[in-house]
Amino acid sequence: MEKLKIFVLLFTLLSCSKLWAADYNASIFGIKSNGTTLNTTAIQKAIDHIHEGGGGHLNFYVGRYLTGTIELKSDVHIILHEGAILVGSTNVYDYNIDSPYRSLVYAKNAENISITGLGVIDGQGRQLAYNVLDQVHKGILEDPLKYDRSAKYRPKGICFRECKNVKIEGITIKNAAEWVQMYDQCENLEINNITVDSKAFWNNDGLDIVDCKNVLVTNSFFDASDDAICFKSHDENKMCENVEVRNCVARSSANGIKFGTVTKGGYKNFKIINNKVYDTFRSAITIATPDGGVVDNILVDSLRAYNTGNAIYLRIGARWNKGRKGTMSNVTIRNLYAEIPASKPDAGYEYEGPVEDLPRNVSPASIVGLPGQYISNVTLSNIEIVYPGGSNPKYAFRGIKPSDLDGIPEMESAYPEFSQFKELPAWGFYVRHAQDIKFENVVLTAKEKEYRPAIVFDDVKGAAMSGMEYNSPGGGKKVHKYKSTGIIQKK
Amino acid sequence: MINNRLFKLKMMGKPGVTLFAFLLFATIHVSAKDYLVTDFGAKADGITLNTRTIQRAIDYISENGGGRLVFDAGNYVTGTIYLKSNVTLHLKYGATILGSTNPFDYVSDPKIKWVAMIFAVNQNNIGITGRGTINGRGFITANNLVNYIHRGIFKDELKYDRPREWRRPQNVYFRECTNVTITDITLRDPASWNQTYDQCKNLYVDNIYVDSKSYWNNDGIDIVDCDGVVLKNSYFDAADDVLCFKSHDANSICQNVVVENCIGRSSANGLKFGTVSRGGFRNFKIKNITIFDTFRSAITFAAVDGGIIENIEVDSVRSINTGNVIFLRIGDRWSKGKKPSMKNIRISNVYAEVPIGKPDAGYNYEGPVEDNPRNISPASIVGLPDYKIQDVKLKNIEIVYPGAGNPLYAYRGTSPADLDSIPEMPARYPEFSQWKELPAWGFYVRHAEGIEFENVILRAQKKDYRPAIVMDDVKGGSFKEVIFTEPESEGKKQIIQHNTEGVTVY
Amino acid sequence: MKVYKIIIINALLLWSFSLTAKEYKASLFGAVSDGITLNTGSIQYAIDYISENGGGRLVFYVGRYLTGSIQLKSNVVIELKEGAVLVAAPSIYDYDGPENRNALLWAEKQDSIGVVGKGVIEGQGTLVLESIKTQRKKGYLKENIGSLCPALIYMKGCNSITIEGINLREACGNVQFYNGCTLVSISNITTVSTSVENSQGILLSECDRVNLSDSFFDTSGKELSQAGASKNLSIVNNINKDGKKIR
Repeated sequence: MEKLKIFVLLFTLLSCSKLWAADYNASIFGIKSNGTTLNTTAIQKAIDHIHEGGGGHLNFYVGRYLTGTIELKSDVHIILHEGAILVGSTNVYDYNIDSPYRSLVYAKNAENISITGLGVIDGQGRQLAYNVLDQVHKGILEDPLKYDRSAKYRPKGICFRECKNVKIEGITIKNAAEWVQMYDQCENLEINNITVDSKAFWNNDGLDIVDCKNVLVTNSFFDASDDAICFKSHDENKMCENVEVRNCVARSSANGIKFGTVTKGGYKNFKIINNKVYDTFRSAITIATPDGGVVDNILVDSLRAYNTGNAIYLRIGARWNKGRKGTMSNVTIRNLYAEIPASKPDAGYEYEGPVEDLPRNVSPASIVGLPGQYISNVTLSNIEIVYPGGSNPKYAFRGIKPSDLDGIPEMESAYPEFSQFKELPAWGFYVRHAQDIKFENVVLTAKEKEYRPAIVFDDVKGAAMSGMEYNSPGGGKKVHKYKSTGIIQKK
Repeated sequence: MINNRLFKLKMMGKPGVTLFAFLLFATIHVSAKDYLVTDFGAKADGITLNTRTIQRAIDYISENGGGRLVFDAGNYVTGTIYLKSNVTLHLKYGATILGSTNPFDYVSDPKIKWVAMIFAVNQNNIGITGRGTINGRGFITANNLVNYIHRGIFKDELKYDRPREWRRPQNVYFRECTNVTITDITLRDPASWNQTYDQCKNLYVDNIYVDSKSYWNNDGIDIVDCDGVVLKNSYFDAADDVLCFKSHDANSICQNVVVENCIGRSSANGLKFGTVSRGGFRNFKIKNITIFDTFRSAITFAAVDGGIIENIEVDSVRSINTGNVIFLRIGDRWSKGKKPSMKNIRISNVYAEVPIGKPDAGYNYEGPVEDNPRNISPASIVGLPDYKIQDVKLKNIEIVYPGAGNPLYAYRGTSPADLDSIPEMPARYPEFSQWKELPAWGFYVRHAEGIEFENVILRAQKKDYRPAIVMDDVKGGSFKEVIFTEPESEGKKQIIQHNTEGVTVY
Repeated sequence: MKVYKIIIINALLLWSFSLTAKEYKASLFGAVSDGITLNTGSIQYAIDYISENGGGRLVFYVGRYLTGSIQLKSNVVIELKEGAVLVAAPSIYDYDGPENRNALLWAEKQDSIGVVGKGVIEGQGTLVLESIKTQRKKGYLKENIGSLCPALIYMKGCNSITIEGINLREACGNVQFYNGCTLVSISNITTVSTSVENSQGILLSECDRVNLSDSFFDTSGKELSQAGASKNLSIVNNINKDGKKIR
């Protein structure tokens, strides 16, 4: 009896607390759904009101809600119901452009916040970006216009900084003028079942997770005219750690899954499991530490890449490291399948990846450290990469003579991309400055004849290869070792 | 269909009109071959700029015996194109020609010195037909042009903070063309005027819908120095004058014009002759027009640049919620020695309601709010001391005014000194409100000869401090069955005559 | 010796030019890098404007700039930064050129002009050819295919032309054609044009002082061919896809 009482009491309490999270409809605050009324101040009032009243849900039902920057505050949960669209103003002055976190939906130091529902956030980023440019050309805003686009004033879609207990679920996020969403130094971030359409303008990353702890990204779709799923570390005293990405699909005119480019602190304890990448210009997975960061304990399992320019690119560089030395160790990539095309995989996208000025035959997957800074303990198991082959040494040539291999520049301070060295001397894998590399059951296929060997090791200390399979018309050299020791090739 | 039109025109009675109308229909659409614009590779995706493809199609059809260039449903983006002889653009229901929003996709015609989306210069037998739409997207284009001006790469003085009219693309500009047919289409959102027909012969406009309030100076239709015009069954909503006749050339004239069954809304004037009126206007027959929610006058005839206005017949006008009903004006602005004149004007069967508030309030580009205390202005017939307006007959007229003229708000008395102090303003832009307060609430007539009023009812809904009619320097005329209704006006002298002779009041 | 002289003259010209050249970003004139907006009007306005205002460089940064025929004017150099692609419009009706000879980028009787940088001019030859064939089949075009196919670059009667560094791809007609030009310097370019038959890399006719160096050609037609006799040619260090020297 006593037990029952407690149970009833608990139940009542629970249901009360559910009810307690007060529900507000947008219209109470005079927020208009006609697509032309600028709602910035009304939505902000709604958020402030709910926040000050102890939290609750702000419900947007079907309609177009035009707004500039709104700041989400603790315990406020925005629900975009199906058909509700939060539409970004195309006037740059409706945004917090003087903040480094300029964005349509902004939050800082907030806890327990969420944006959920089946609705949409549409930044109208192309028009916005061109309007920013217009203000620059008129001399009203000052901006050096890097690459003829504004570097300083383009707002992101969502930008949360130092927030805790953040949930983004169900919504579609699209058309920002810059990155579509960034979570910076957040803790306990859950992203589930979202759709990202981020091709409105240049640098439209799909998802940027910067120096966050405890992150779960699941069941989401990303289409981006820059990196699709992107981890960064902007602060050398912070790290991105305890991150899991599962069951996501990504398309990118840069990289599918990317660690970097800015990597000051680093990345630890990642699980990237069961994801797909397709029609992507650069690498299916790039892990780069050019700015002194630490990369440790990364698992990539079951990654499939179709029509993607490169499969794997692991890279230590020395760009903005200021004397600190980047490290990369304990990286496991298993169950990876990749198909690399001969032509540009993202052709036809409005902002396709930049056409490079270079004669270059199709590049291999690459693991490239620096002299004395070895990428260490990398396991590649159950890997299959299908290349087009057909390289033409008359078009671009890199031989395997010592002078050829030593002629490959280190490019430690260059922006790390798989194509940065232009022509590389292998068609399957190029490994340089690395130690303790395991290849298990790796199948490399070139569909047409190659002038290059399948794998080149240069300055590698210890590589164990087993279950290797090389398919290329006319055979050709399989493995070329240079300045390397402990390369063990088993059946 | 053609026979039917012809029949209706004959019924109108004027032999001259019937003759030119007949000539018009006898010559067009004899053997029209149809060509699909998509066959030339035009894309109806709303993105592809089709300028050159459409131009090529027009050129081809014109060079190969003529025909219709047909646009199926879809959105066709284009910059400037030139229509050529024997080609009709036929826009099917759902087809929209969208103006490019890039001002650099338009050209300024070297002869006309004006920018437009669809030009025709010296062409015969041309037209735009069908139930489709021409949408200039002028708001965006005009604002883009403003941006380029501010960037310093395009020169314009930005009068009133907007680019000059001739640098903003209008939808249609035809010059010196013969046998022009514009039927059934919707014309919307130009960056400047909507459509101009300049020195054209035999222009036939029927059943068009015009929505022209996307930017400043969005006239509904401008017919300049044309000879032989039928304009009927059309609807206009414009951010400047609606049915606008002009005369740009002192040696030309706008003449032989029929306007029938048209409805217009304007943030300026409904039916307007002028402002530019160098040659003049002759032989107009205007029948059954409705003007509503209009800022200025339902009818403005202005001869201010040395041109003539004569033989004008206006029959059946409804003017609802319109700031002024009739404004006839001779001025002396850009006359350059030519003598302006206005004579033989017949206006009959008019019902008009003038509001107390701003009739076009709430429109995006409403008419400019004026800085003046002014009670509601009367209808006005105002010539100049040396150029009198002659032979004006007003018959079966009823005008409902709000009245309530308050002398403490604005005052113009009827003493000789007060009346003489009203300035002539010969060079001023002619508007009914140009004198600010006028001394009558119903009609103000000055410098005129032969004014006939017959069955004219003037109603003031509230007491007004002014008389109904003031005449100043009027020679000859008659007022038959003129009725005034005004609260608390018993014994009030409603007609004041000053320097006036030979006017009989029955 | 003569060749040497030419090189020096060219170098001097280039040097003096780049010192005075004002730089204009393409976006100033509303050029849009989305690959779907046809920029002909904006680019032409830009060229006219720059030429009328003392000359300079019109700079395109990374992105795809769709355009139809544009006419280069005196003292204007187009600079295509790495990643910038001038994408040729697919419809044949977007082309014109002097004497009914179509070209994407053309000039007639202009001085001190050029196209430089690491970017690309993409001719979309297959698409343009398809447009020509369709329109001919329908009878809307009468001229033969060869005379309709646009070249990527056609210069007629021009003086002091610099083509440097750029990638030229997939012309519908010939890639470059110089007719009656003097002081033509072409260096360090990469030409790949194989999707349409008989696309010649460079066609010279009655030119004087032409310097072609350090370039790569993979073309379906001849890499370099001459119609009318040209004089004072310097052809140095150019190869085709088989590694053969081009002379």
